[in-house]
Amino acid sequence: MTAAIQVNQVSFRYSPQRQVLSGIDLSVRAGTFLAVVGPNGVGKSTLIQVMAGMLKPRSGSVLLEGKDLRSYGVRELARKVALVRQEFVPAFGFSVYETVLMARTPCYGQWGFESREDREQVAKALERTDTARFASRALGSLSAGERQRVFIARALAQNTPILLLDEPTSFLDLKHQVAIYDLLKSIQQETAATIIAVTHDINLASQYCDEALLLYPVAGEVAPSEPAPHPTRHRVGPTREILTPEAIQSAFGVAIFSGVIGKERFVVPLGSHAKDANIPRSSDV
Amino acid sequence: MHPPLTPQKLLLRTSLAGALLVAILLGCSLVGPQAISLKAAFHGPQIGGTPNPDYEILVRVRIPRVLLAAMVGAALAASGVIFQALLRNPLADPYILGVSSGAGLGAMLAVIGGLSWTLWGRSPIALFAFIGALGTVWLVWGIGRVTGKYQVTGLLLAGVVVNAFFSAMIMFLISIARSQQLYATIFWLMGNMTEEDWLVLWVGGGCILAGIVSLFFLGPQLNILSVGRQDARSIGVPVERVELAAFAISAFITAAAVSLSGLIGFVGLIVPHAVRLVFGPDHRQLIPLSGLVGAMFLVVADTVARMVVAPAQLPVGVVTAMIGGPFFLLLLVAHSKKVYWAA
Repeated sequence: MTAAIQVNQVSFRYSPQRQVLSGIDLSVRAGTFLAVVGPNGVGKSTLIQVMAGMLKPRSGSVLLEGKDLRSYGVRELARKVALVRQEFVPAFGFSVYETVLMARTPCYGQWGFESREDREQVAKALERTDTARFASRALGSLSAGERQRVFIARALAQNTPILLLDEPTSFLDLKHQVAIYDLLKSIQQETAATIIAVTHDINLASQYCDEALLLYPVAGEVAPSEPAPHPTRHRVGPTREILTPEAIQSAFGVAIFSGVIGKERFVVPLGSHAKDANIPRSSDV
Repeated sequence: MHPPLTPQKLLLRTSLAGALLVAILLGCSLVGPQAISLKAAFHGPQIGGTPNPDYEILVRVRIPRVLLAAMVGAALAASGVIFQALLRNPLADPYILGVSSGAGLGAMLAVIGGLSWTLWGRSPIALFAFIGALGTVWLVWGIGRVTGKYQVTGLLLAGVVVNAFFSAMIMFLISIARSQQLYATIFWLMGNMTEEDWLVLWVGGGCILAGIVSLFFLGPQLNILSVGRQDARSIGVPVERVELAAFAISAFITAAAVSLSGLIGFVGLIVPHAVRLVFGPDHRQLIPLSGLVGAMFLVVADTVARMVVAPAQLPVGVVTAMIGGPFFLLLLVAHSKKVYWAA
């Protein structure tokens, strides 16, 4: 079976001094919920952008449903992949409804207006994300959690089999973090969508995601002249095998306490100046 | 909030605004230091072998003047909308990327250089201004492409710096100019309407109308682009192509407007905001309505400029700021409760 997304030996750098990804291999089966985890600056967002076609990899290739990403046109790509970027503040006073409707822009008729089908897709997306009740409000008047749901609604209105999200729960409180993951899980189950989310919530990823990609920082600085930098170390597989206490400890360079609740293993970071420095490093609760 | 736009609503509002514009054009063309009668003008160019003064004034002076004001106002307001959307900056106006200083420099060079040749019986100032304006925007756009591939800040900074540099050159030219040359250019720099002949009106008006109509068809893409380039791309909009088309068209109509009327401030900044405050941010509506409202605004402002110190005239740029400023502040206060600015 063809993978929804296949990443082959992808490397990317912003400048010769800033190599962020090298030699990334990844294959995501259709219908998988994958978490991309790793420390800041390791290239998680960059990888999402490469998979979304926003950034061109320096070498290697990305296959979307078996076909090279480079051979997709802009519109064709937008029918396969929707991207939810990190939280931001909008510049002009568009309403929630108008924002979600924008996802349908390429489908508008020749006079620049939406069809009945476009409106139906938008209504469905608003309902699924529970944003219909504030559809007429301005985006700027919403809380961060509500706004994030609107952007997920916009991605849903694009009606794509693949959904990419860049830190969908940063800036959100516990309740809203859980709400976003519940929403993503229900989308995965109802539409069989492939969902890939960059996240720092390792515990939420363990609970909700099927698989995880853990990126480690490149060991040492890469010399500009070096022709083949070290490959970015990365591991991918079922969350339970990847997000192990040892792997997290070494990827993030932080001591952790870990314990098992029910079937899942959870982790808590431990600092050296914490009030109680004698907390055990792991325990099976 | 503003309910979503439908084609019916758009058609209704544009038609009403169009009708209002026609009424204002007609009304303002009858107003002037010399009272004229529409009825008398209908008798045609000649009454019983002698020229009909009412007709002459209306057709050769007043109508060309109000039409020019309408064209210029529409072009400035519509391009203001585009620049604000593409730069994702509510403070942007059509001059922000250097159209004004480029046109000003072109005009100054034409005057200082003592160009005495004429083009179809016309002074070359407008042509020089037009070339200066387009050349500057092209330069700024080129610099912005290099520096600001991932953000608009590079483009904005390039615009601000080029504007400042060219303004300094204008100041330099003013300081070495002779007083007689100065008078012509100062009026031009303040924004000034004159009575243009019909050929200019047809050509300029045709270009500006075609430009605004094409911009209307970019409306849906501009909506998503005003949210962000990446957002636009990820929903399937060919960002570079749309940006280039919108910039090129709006720079072109701004340059055309500026070369005909000089630097009229305020219209391109205030009218888009006023329309957005009342009717919402949807560009499919914002572009045509801003064009129409910009036309009305400048026609009225120019009529005031002709009247207050008649038979002398004020530069219309002075009037746009003096009427537009307080009016916009009133609108801002009245509507601010239901509008969310960038938080």
